[in-house]
Amino acid sequence: MPEPETRRVVVTGLGAVSSAGIGAAEFTAAIRAGRRTTSPITSFDTTGFPHVHAGEVHDFEPAEWLRRIEPTQWGRSSQFAASAARLAVADSGLPESELARARAGSVMGTTSGESAVIEELVGQWSADGLKSLGTDRVGAVPAGRIAAAVNSELRLSGEALTLATACSASNYALGYAYDMVAGGDADYMLAGGADSVNRWAHAGFYRLGALAEEVCRPFDAHRSGILTAEGGVALLLEPYDRAVARGARIYAEVLGYSVNCDAEHMVHPDPTSIAACIRAAHRSAGVTPEQIDYICAHGTGTRTNDATEVAAAREVFGDRIPPISSIKSMIGHTMGAASGFGALICCQALHEGFLPPTAGVEEIDPALGAGVDPVPGTARPARPQVVQNHGFAFGGNNAITVFGRVA
Amino acid sequence: MSTAAVEALQAPVTHAVEPLAITAVGAATPAGLGLEALGRALAAGRPGHAEPSVQEGESLPPRPIRAVPDLRVTELIGRKGNRHLDRTTRLGLVSCRLALDSLPVPVGSRTGVVLGTSTGSIRSSSEYSLETLHQERPYLVNPSLFPNTVMNCAAGQIAIRHGLKGVNATLAGGHLAGVQALRYARNALRHGHADRLLVSGVEEFCAQSAWGWHQSGALSPDAAVGEGAALLVVEAEDAARSAGRRVLARVLACETGYADRGGLARALASVIGSALGRSGKDPAEVTAVSLGATGLVGLDRIEVRAVRSALGGALPDQVVRVKETVGECFSAGGVLQIAGLLGLWQLENTGAARTAVVPAVSRDGQVGCVVLDLNAPVG
Repeated sequence: MPEPETRRVVVTGLGAVSSAGIGAAEFTAAIRAGRRTTSPITSFDTTGFPHVHAGEVHDFEPAEWLRRIEPTQWGRSSQFAASAARLAVADSGLPESELARARAGSVMGTTSGESAVIEELVGQWSADGLKSLGTDRVGAVPAGRIAAAVNSELRLSGEALTLATACSASNYALGYAYDMVAGGDADYMLAGGADSVNRWAHAGFYRLGALAEEVCRPFDAHRSGILTAEGGVALLLEPYDRAVARGARIYAEVLGYSVNCDAEHMVHPDPTSIAACIRAAHRSAGVTPEQIDYICAHGTGTRTNDATEVAAAREVFGDRIPPISSIKSMIGHTMGAASGFGALICCQALHEGFLPPTAGVEEIDPALGAGVDPVPGTARPARPQVVQNHGFAFGGNNAITVFGRVA
Repeated sequence: MSTAAVEALQAPVTHAVEPLAITAVGAATPAGLGLEALGRALAAGRPGHAEPSVQEGESLPPRPIRAVPDLRVTELIGRKGNRHLDRTTRLGLVSCRLALDSLPVPVGSRTGVVLGTSTGSIRSSSEYSLETLHQERPYLVNPSLFPNTVMNCAAGQIAIRHGLKGVNATLAGGHLAGVQALRYARNALRHGHADRLLVSGVEEFCAQSAWGWHQSGALSPDAAVGEGAALLVVEAEDAARSAGRRVLARVLACETGYADRGGLARALASVIGSALGRSGKDPAEVTAVSLGATGLVGLDRIEVRAVRSALGGALPDQVVRVKETVGECFSAGGVLQIAGLLGLWQLENTGAARTAVVPAVSRDGQVGCVVLDLNAPVG
């Protein structure tokens, strides 16, 4: 099909609900400081689990943030998403009534949807059988409600799409939202993702040998795996011309994105396929590898991820790999929201001028080869112009977004 | 709502119509395997197979059931690596195999997958969760089954087994999954994320979801809980024509919107109107509607009211209710509405031009509409 005419697309609002804070400013301050915000799990009984840490959002009171939807009728992931979206709109300075009248929608990514609701129902099943399933909770199960919650909360009349491409889902969402705004199908899109900490994923990752005991330490020689985490993140995308006309603060421009599939293995990522995804993202953004100033890594904290991600970067960048860091070292792996948080911090890095750090790196794993700079410790002052944000997933679903500084 | 009012609500059309061509369909439904089985059952008004395979000791709710009789897994997806696949993934793989087998040559590696679900296999995730409660240690779950708990498992397996390296998307659309998947596919093709796409919807029958539907109160008492999968092979129409591929139908529009509960009928009528507008079709040209909300309390009436309103008062001559055969298939419903139409059209084989609207409406607020046509003059 012929490429349609496109409008430039910028990010003008950021919203976060995370273990590192609620609101983009709080979140960014914690990341810049390299503060680890994971902690012992409280959302489920961890008795019998050898590892009990995760990136939970302990102090989240949905009623504090949500004005229109009734929190009890929605699952935790939907609450995260709708709260993050409301925060992003407030941050953008766009009057809510104007947004509701515009051609506006939402696209949100997730890995496990309303897993906390499902586990609540599993508890009822375990206690009293399937016929005891609670009527109101059953209605809160569909993962498609995550984007629906955003539209209901903000009275958006456009599309409400939930993408379930696991741990790269927010990047899929951002790419789709970018196309909708660039192509003129929508004038505003809220894009991001949400997930909730749950027992089954905690158990599954533990059994795969992928779960860290207490500290997630990507790129470090002594890394021991991931920490599961939760939260909601939303970015407001709009056309550049519109943002300028209304005098909006522009965090960054969405330059392009790419998505592809390894088609090799459900759980082992493939560096060649990821390298192809990076190259396609550069083509989409109209940039060359030399222009990339920073990579926000998928960086889960497993040896396999680090080796694959660095190998893929080496295929594209040669021996001059840009600084590459992982915010999962601070907030854990927020699953479907992960690349959304990555995108948010990329926007802040471009806007405020810094490189996000990898916390807790003591010894960069020599096995990764020379020239790997994970920005250890705390944020580094810098003036990045173009950055890329990685998201990889179960099923070999790769998605990469590219953001640029708007002068 | 009057036609004029519908027109007033239409969103501005920003692109010329770029039709998608459907070049193959695979269907695994309670009517049996294949499009013809579905078409024949619908033509005869025959309900599908009513006996699900249940696990030992499992009780089912007291309501009608429709289930795919025999998936012929060994024959259609091979013996290798099947042991840990759940029913959702099996349904997806079987519908994929049936569609690809109907094409004269394999699809290339620049093909992608767009698969609609709602929760993935709810049996897989909820049983995994239950294991953490019942095992002696909560982590004594089977690591081989973990990928089944992730919603993009079926799409990933389809890609792996057929070497499909194009975009691989899973969307949680529930009743909107069909129109959302086609919309996602149209965008991905337009931006070159794949040359061809396998657009699918899958819903498995299991005790967990059967009880869920039963307890939810969302289904009328005589409505069956069903299961099924359909997969449409789509690409840009001009690409299909220039490759000499047979075009089974064209997708002219796939529009979506959102409204609160009180505004669903109006929003659905509006989105049907804008889908027809985008297709360059007049409501009077519509020959068929394939309804999706059959059996859903409240929504079934909203859907019919919206279709009538968008089409100027009356329903078209051909009204298809695929759920009377396949039961409530949630996120597979949308693609099965389309498969049902195509199955009937192939059976009728009259050569007459047809235009169909395929509406979708969700309790949560999403509305959508696909417009299809057949035998439109080429040129």
